[in-house]
Amino acid sequence: MTEEMSKLPPQVQERLLRYQQLQQTLQTVLAQKQQVELELMEVEQALSEMQKTADDTTIYKSIGTLLVKTEKAKVTTDLNERKELLNTRATVLGKQEERLRTQMKDLQTKLQQDLNPVSPS
Amino acid sequence: MEKDKREEELRRISIELRLLEQTAEALQSRIDMINAVMTDLTYANMSLEGLEKEKENSELLVPIGGNSFIKAKLDNSDKLIVGMGASVSVEKTLQEAKEIVKKRLENTEKTRLSLQQQLSQVAEKMSAGRERFESLVAELRKEQSSKDV
Repeated sequence: MTEEMSKLPPQVQERLLRYQQLQQTLQTVLAQKQQVELELMEVEQALSEMQKTADDTTIYKSIGTLLVKTEKAKVTTDLNERKELLNTRATVLGKQEERLRTQMKDLQTKLQQDLNPVSPS
Repeated sequence: MEKDKREEELRRISIELRLLEQTAEALQSRIDMINAVMTDLTYANMSLEGLEKEKENSELLVPIGGNSFIKAKLDNSDKLIVGMGASVSVEKTLQEAKEIVKKRLENTEKTRLSLQQQLSQVAEKMSAGRERFESLVAELRKEQSSKDV
């Protein structure tokens, strides 16, 4: 805790710490969401490539550093399953983000009142 | 301008400059990443063009990392495997592979240009911010020294 913060009333200090924690959690959630969205984009691109590919084309799936021969139908099913899973994760992370933003907004309003109390007219 | 207002502006500019510095660093690291991708694609393009001139059964040395190679013979130069992302690779003809690499290079170049533009805009804002910061510091110092006299 900084020296400036320790001069504040304990309740305000607590709120500020909570706000910082929420901010960190939001950053983590946003990073995860971005990662999921990138993966989703990649899966969608691969799926669209599969649509353009003839059924008898040789397809490989990478397992570690190896490429293993597979079939178009199997890859398409796998990709669709992955897409569904990623969509669910993106929705969950989106809801988490929304909840965190609301909590931060509420806390921000309270902190603004704490730090700039309205002077009596 | 009042001293308090100048000090407030100074604080604001200092925060803005810190944020701009972070943005510039993030943009630079993305540009470095894009440059690495472009180098990789350029090598792929060169390999494909070289392969086009080779005949079946030509002797090749395939890199396995650590500046080491294994000997191999070219089986079929018109069948190549190209990665599509999401752990999926598809067999393509040499011409198709060349087209894909070319398109990827074009897209990467576009992204690099856009990032470079963003970086110059941030650099311009930073330079204007620093100028204003220095002039405010000078004003405040001048005021302080006239008070001290």
